[in-house]
Amino acid sequence: MSSGGNTSSVYAGDEINAIVLDPGSYNTRIGYAGDDFPKVVVPSYYGIDKNDIAKSNAPGGKTRRVFGEDINLPRSNFETNPILKDSEIQDWDAAVDQYSHYFNKVLKLDYKEQPILITEPVWTSNQYRQQLIDTFFEKFDFPALYLAKSPTCISFQQGRPNCLVVDIGHDSVSVTPVIDGISLLKNSMKTNYAGRFLSDHIQDLLAHKFPEAKIEPRYRIKSKNPTVFPTAADYTTKPLNENITTSFDDYQKEKIWHEFKESMLEVPEKKLNNLNASQSNSIKEFYSSDANKRLFELPTGQSVELSLDRYALADTLFDPESYPFHNADLNEKYPPSNGEISLANTFDDYKPLKRARKAESNQSTPPLSQDDHNGNHTEIRGLSSLISSTLSSVDIDLRSSVAHNIIITGGVSLIPQLTERLYTELTNSNPGLKIRLHAVGNSSERFNQAWIGGSILASLGTFHQMWVSKEEYQEVGPDRILSQRFR
Amino acid sequence: MSASDILDVLNVQRGEGAPAKKKQKTNNGKTQRQSGMARELYNLLGPNTPPVSLSAGGGSSAVKDKLNLKPSPWSRIGFTPQKSEKGKSNLKLYHWVKGSKELLEQEAIEEKPYFFDKFDLKPDIPELVDEETYDRLMEEIRREKSKNSIPTETTNDDTKPASNDNNDNKTTELVNGIDKEKESRADSKEKEHKEDGDKSPAETEWSYEETKQLFVLCNDFELKWHAIFDRFTYPGKTLEDLKEHFYLLCGKILKNKPNVNPQLLDSLNSYSKSKEIERKQYLENLLTRTPAEIAEEESLVVEARRFELAAKKMLVERSNLLTLFDSPQTSQSVQQYRSSQGLTNLYNSLMIMDKHQKRKQLSFQKGSSGRDPIPPSIPVAASSSFKKDRGFQTHLQQYLSGLLKQNQANNNGIKQEKSAVQQLLAKKLTVKEEEAYGLYYHANEKLTPGVILRSGQRLPGLSQRQSTLKSVSSLLQELDIPTVGGTNWKPIMPTRKTMTKFDELLRASATLLEVKKAKDKLESEIKLIKSQRGLQ
Repeated sequence: MSSGGNTSSVYAGDEINAIVLDPGSYNTRIGYAGDDFPKVVVPSYYGIDKNDIAKSNAPGGKTRRVFGEDINLPRSNFETNPILKDSEIQDWDAAVDQYSHYFNKVLKLDYKEQPILITEPVWTSNQYRQQLIDTFFEKFDFPALYLAKSPTCISFQQGRPNCLVVDIGHDSVSVTPVIDGISLLKNSMKTNYAGRFLSDHIQDLLAHKFPEAKIEPRYRIKSKNPTVFPTAADYTTKPLNENITTSFDDYQKEKIWHEFKESMLEVPEKKLNNLNASQSNSIKEFYSSDANKRLFELPTGQSVELSLDRYALADTLFDPESYPFHNADLNEKYPPSNGEISLANTFDDYKPLKRARKAESNQSTPPLSQDDHNGNHTEIRGLSSLISSTLSSVDIDLRSSVAHNIIITGGVSLIPQLTERLYTELTNSNPGLKIRLHAVGNSSERFNQAWIGGSILASLGTFHQMWVSKEEYQEVGPDRILSQRFR
Repeated sequence: MSASDILDVLNVQRGEGAPAKKKQKTNNGKTQRQSGMARELYNLLGPNTPPVSLSAGGGSSAVKDKLNLKPSPWSRIGFTPQKSEKGKSNLKLYHWVKGSKELLEQEAIEEKPYFFDKFDLKPDIPELVDEETYDRLMEEIRREKSKNSIPTETTNDDTKPASNDNNDNKTTELVNGIDKEKESRADSKEKEHKEDGDKSPAETEWSYEETKQLFVLCNDFELKWHAIFDRFTYPGKTLEDLKEHFYLLCGKILKNKPNVNPQLLDSLNSYSKSKEIERKQYLENLLTRTPAEIAEEESLVVEARRFELAAKKMLVERSNLLTLFDSPQTSQSVQQYRSSQGLTNLYNSLMIMDKHQKRKQLSFQKGSSGRDPIPPSIPVAASSSFKKDRGFQTHLQQYLSGLLKQNQANNNGIKQEKSAVQQLLAKKLTVKEEEAYGLYYHANEKLTPGVILRSGQRLPGLSQRQSTLKSVSSLLQELDIPTVGGTNWKPIMPTRKTMTKFDELLRASATLLEVKKAKDKLESEIKLIKSQRGLQ
């Protein structure tokens, strides 16, 4: 509906059916602006024949990638690779291939008809953004596009112009203050203690605690009989193609961890590893009790029983330091992180100051880099301390309004009791602030919150002046567009 | 049967509400069937408004309306949302608009601007000057700063926030932003002077490049300072630095232009970085309080509020007291009291008021002892029930004495016309005279309002048990003391004196009888014990 004709209406929307693309590290979402849910939600992975990779390197070679549900079919010599890492596109060819597959075959778009809005995380570098825009204008024929920061989108979804967006995703946990709908990059924080971190912990724990239990991905199982751990698993496997790649296997195993996260994890009320030994023992005792025991059935039909561990696993999000991996390799995968993002200068044309003499006179180091020096080797920030430190870095005038509007989103935030724990920890550490957490009740909305926000944004009448057309991009140049138009 | 029928049967006249009701009834005729409410039940509602909305159904007629309607055409047409932007952007987007294609195309030719175009507002920020002028201006600013770091502060403090009543609408936005900041750091002037001296030498320098970026950002982010600070890439600048530099420079640039709003200039120049920093520091301190400190502060606030309340209460009480001491004012005409009926009414109401006051005082004295500071209680003699003084006269007394005076004034010549009562009232009587006239002051007695005859008065000595009263009566008969007889325990001639005497007598005889009873009892007991011990 357009409000072009009726001036009296206050309806701010003007739907032009723009495409909204929200690439996440685990799932990618594509759909039309104005919808309340994306049309396409697919894994951000693709399957490819190993032989094809070699072929594609040869000139004129054509690769065939598979996307969506198709990647779950066990084929010989088929790799399953991620497209994104930390919400940034790593494999550009695959990304273009995936998007054009969904644009052309599934949504059957006429590119000319509508612009596209792409969400991006706050930590993207300018080179990356430029490459993204270049690629899109080159490969697809959209008349215009817009890069929206995903915290901005989330703030739009919640209708809160001033808020603190805590996005606990698959690859990364990010905390971003949003002021007047603009994400503040300097105050943003990001760690990798997120979904993948949990998956690795689960894998590590199962391997350590139940070394005899066989972890088989579901696709290999033909039939099974339920058993409980000390008893050996009783199952038969399917006859399968040979040469199934490890990457495919790992991707399928990831689904087990995913299921484990959904069914087993629960956040304890307090830190399990307290400084006070007796206190932490009593807490641990409580969580080890029979009432907190739960069985998890592996794909082989064998069930493992866990009580304290399922709380400890969730506790790793809050206190990653206290839970080192048993497997040393995994420890290296997650270097200690205090969450600060090193930002590439938005203005790349930074030259030494013209008045060199005067510049020298005030060589005060910026506050951010100072933090970097102090924090790099010391502090490991769990979820609540990450939020607290972001809050304390925000300007004092904004702090109370931001603390009052903390939005919790992302799939991992669905772990039971997570918001309750966050609330108690935040109120304890910030007695002067009134903390209020907002988390969408609907779980599928929490997965797709950034997309929904983008959908709202791209259907606003006032937003349509913000689109950047191909001509404008070529005319003005990427530097100015990136810094001024995509805020 | 409807409510109107009932009204007709009862012959009740309906006022002007009737036609409106009739109209309503006809209107409801349709919705009645749709809403599914029983007709009889609905009729009983009558002219009252129905408690539930009955038009909600809306049903068939609305559907019918829709069926009859011709669908209005919607057409998908292209539009260019960025017309305001230099006109060169030719991005074309498509949306659905109500109306036929031809009509809309006609409109498109007429170059109607995009509906949401009017929301695309830009702040009015002066253009950055070229580099030479910039250097010159900066030199000026620097000179000013070093020259009068303290004097300028004082003058700046005096400039009040500008009221934007002029017609320069665009600049108001800028002014408003600054005003807010000014208001928020209104206090603590003295400290500021000290700090000002310390800080000015460490002033950060601004290159032209930095300034250029600042202006670009200010334009892009519409003076949202937090966003500007976030995207500002040069290191070593605080948010306050950015603001100060921008405001100062804008002030300088605008000064050189014609038709500049002087209030805007004033407010631009009155930004004080040190105050802003101080304010933020103060806020920071507020936030870092521990929960214990916060709790303590809260309890202190509660206590302070209690004190305030107590003080207010005391003030109210004091003013009440003062009005009590003050002689009451006649607020209305005394005409209504001139008839005897009015007089008794007045008297009765006065008596009631009097009693209330007394009771209030009593309860107040009982209840409030040991509580909040209380005003000294009013002595009974000062209360209105004990009036001898002119200042404590009741309305009646005032009226009477006023009447006397008036009469005196009127009939000064005709002295013999003064009635005996008037003379009596005018005089101050001795005790003997009072006795002679039968005047008596009921100091602390409870009196029922109105006229009482002494013969009908119940003596306090009669509050005895019925059996004792009987024996008292027989005793009186034995003693040959005349009473009215029957159930009336009264002397035949109930003067005040006889009444009191009689009362005394009653009490005395009752006591006597009681004593005798006790004596008899004791004697019999003694006898019993004696007999038990075999003494008899």
